Amino acid sequence: MKITDLHQFLVTFFQAHQCKLIVNQPGLLKIQLTKEMDKALMNRPFYWHYIERMGQEGEPMQLTLMTDTKQKHENAEWIHFGSPRLQQIMNYLKKTSKYTKLFQVVDTKVNTPLYPWLVINLKITYAGKQQKEEIFSIGLNLVNGMMVEDMMAKLDRLALQQSISDYCYPISPIIKLASGFQRIEKVFDQYIKQQDHHWAEETRITLE
Amino acid sequence: MTELLIDKDNTFVKTFEKLLKNEGPFSNWELFKLTYQSELTRMVPSFQGLHALDYLPHMQFLPHQIKTATTAIEQMNGRVILADEVGLGKTIEAGLILKEYMIRNLVKKVLILVPASLVNQWVKELNEKFFIPAIAFRKNMHWEQYDIIVSSLDLAKRSPHQEMIQQIDYDFLLVDEAHKLKNHRTKNYSFIRSVHKKYCLLLTATPIQNNLLEIFNLVSILKPGHLGDYDSFMKRFGKDRQLLAKDQYLKKLVQQVMIRNTRKETSLNNINRQIHTIWLDFSKEQLACYQTIQQLKDLPTFSKITFLREFCSSREACYMSLKKLLSSVQNNEQIEKIITTIEQLPQHVKAEKVVELIKSLGNEKVIIFTEYRASQYFLQHFLHEHGISSVPFRGGFKASKKDWMRQIFENQAQVLIATEAGGEGINLQFCHHLVNYDLPWNPMKLEQRIGRIHRFGQQHPVHVYNFAIRHTIEEHMMKLLYEKINLFEKVIGELDDILADLNIQDFESEIKNIFAESSSEGEIKIKLNNLTAIINQEQIERNHKEAYHENY
Repeated sequence: MKITDLHQFLVTFFQAHQCKLIVNQPGLLKIQLTKEMDKALMNRPFYWHYIERMGQEGEPMQLTLMTDTKQKHENAEWIHFGSPRLQQIMNYLKKTSKYTKLFQVVDTKVNTPLYPWLVINLKITYAGKQQKEEIFSIGLNLVNGMMVEDMMAKLDRLALQQSISDYCYPISPIIKLASGFQRIEKVFDQYIKQQDHHWAEETRITLE
Repeated sequence: MTELLIDKDNTFVKTFEKLLKNEGPFSNWELFKLTYQSELTRMVPSFQGLHALDYLPHMQFLPHQIKTATTAIEQMNGRVILADEVGLGKTIEAGLILKEYMIRNLVKKVLILVPASLVNQWVKELNEKFFIPAIAFRKNMHWEQYDIIVSSLDLAKRSPHQEMIQQIDYDFLLVDEAHKLKNHRTKNYSFIRSVHKKYCLLLTATPIQNNLLEIFNLVSILKPGHLGDYDSFMKRFGKDRQLLAKDQYLKKLVQQVMIRNTRKETSLNNINRQIHTIWLDFSKEQLACYQTIQQLKDLPTFSKITFLREFCSSREACYMSLKKLLSSVQNNEQIEKIITTIEQLPQHVKAEKVVELIKSLGNEKVIIFTEYRASQYFLQHFLHEHGISSVPFRGGFKASKKDWMRQIFENQAQVLIATEAGGEGINLQFCHHLVNYDLPWNPMKLEQRIGRIHRFGQQHPVHVYNFAIRHTIEEHMMKLLYEKINLFEKVIGELDDILADLNIQDFESEIKNIFAESSSEGEIKIKLNNLTAIINQEQIERNHKEAYHENY
């Protein structure tokens, strides 16, 4: 599920934040920012502070991004995986879109139960003289305790939304959130223990 | 077995529970997915390799630079003397190493100490080439305040800065021109040793100028005790630097902390550079006009030289300057006469030649360099008349405009007409033909011009065409100076070192003085000969030194 199409990633991001796309052609995007996005991305807190003090509306800026350098356009910012702009967007996502609660979309006329799942996306960082990271997505069925790996990829195939569909009702979890999280944590403690840790040994030797 | 320390995010569940209780705010599914995707994308999946390369698609690193960064990180644990020869990109290697450490979250607090004159350049390169938010240290700033600070060593070692710096635990310390640290009795040395640092890069192009002790000192900053203690080292090796070449054991030890790439090993020299000098003759009228200017009286010698040089470049360049002169001195019949003569002169020989040359090259891209703005305007107009498309390029252009012009040149226009070498980072390697329409009197400028297209990564032979007019000041420069010091064959960066060693800071005024203060052609000749002799002598000595370095 890594980002492969940066253009699409940006389109989704800005649309999900209610920004209007003035230009959307291959390699080039011109975006009318909303106030929220302007505040998040344009680094001008004093402007907004002033505007709000004066009780005015303020004018969010436009942003022109190119994902393809052949699309040379004056004043367009080249955005790529190392560019500060993309890092800024990713940091913003991490800060604001870390938690969610979703229901499966079900088109039904009969009463349908929805089962509660706890999904944890977790990153392990191995920090020695060098560093390595792993990301896991684990789903735990909060009724029967079943655990599923690579949960995000599985969910990606489903339609999900923030409100519950008609005729559907949620089943109360049997496993409490905190203890469900503990179960998942234990699995990872075990996993980490079983790893080959000669990297740590090497680090210790280097430090001495 | 090493005890593992596991740090966990303990706030996660509590926050989640609170949000559930308050019914949000929650992310929607799309943004949540994007967050997961972006974390997957920027994860560092293995201990090995340079992930920074994925983050810097605009940079073209050379094989030796990538290898150096990898070795420095993976085998030397980031404590390294980078001792590449000048011009192979030590700064680039250092930036790449720092970037990699930052991406891997191993480095946050950074101190970069460089000569005062290079502070701003370092800041600029780190920001623009590596997106590393470095800032220059300014008065009234605090050392803890910013994570990545560039400062001069001279400032940092002074009180109270020294004391403040010593309080901080740095993840990464870099010292440029580290040969200033070779003497362990200096304040520089003891200061650098006292800074708390995890990773440390020492950059120097001349690591072993005098004796072995200097190596001992540099290595001791990185790895105290690596070469034993001072007394036992002195006892065993003494001060004899030749020993480094002979003693295999010592050589190995030094290689563990030092990387040195030489021009010979890298491939730049293999790319062919072909120099064509194109000799032209003034027509009778033109030569007569040239001589009239030469014989002008009551003019400062320097401005006379300038007029002559301009006249060799284009009628327009000389015309504009004379007009300007006329507006400041009134009633100068001599000058007015020359201006009238110039107005009636036929087309300049160089202009016709350059059109002929460009047409003979088919669709090949060509860069034309001229010293004069007026020549640049004229050429653009003249080429246009002959159906050749061109774009102008000037030092005064903003960075974005420079890049824009470069793009037009690459994609549409056949010719770029530039009045200066274009500055750092403007990459014109897609072009293989360069015309020196007139010759700058500063060989460094000439080198920079050629360096725009003849550089690492250039795959094709590069052709340089030098236009020079016989029986003029241009012939002197060409024959007596540039050809004698083999300027056009020299590797980029070499001449810079030579001039620095000779303490020649302003080559151009040196030459101007020769022309201005000589009373005859013969005197000019002798003086230029002396100058070339010194440069060539220095070159020979340098080659001896180089030969020695490669032997150790």
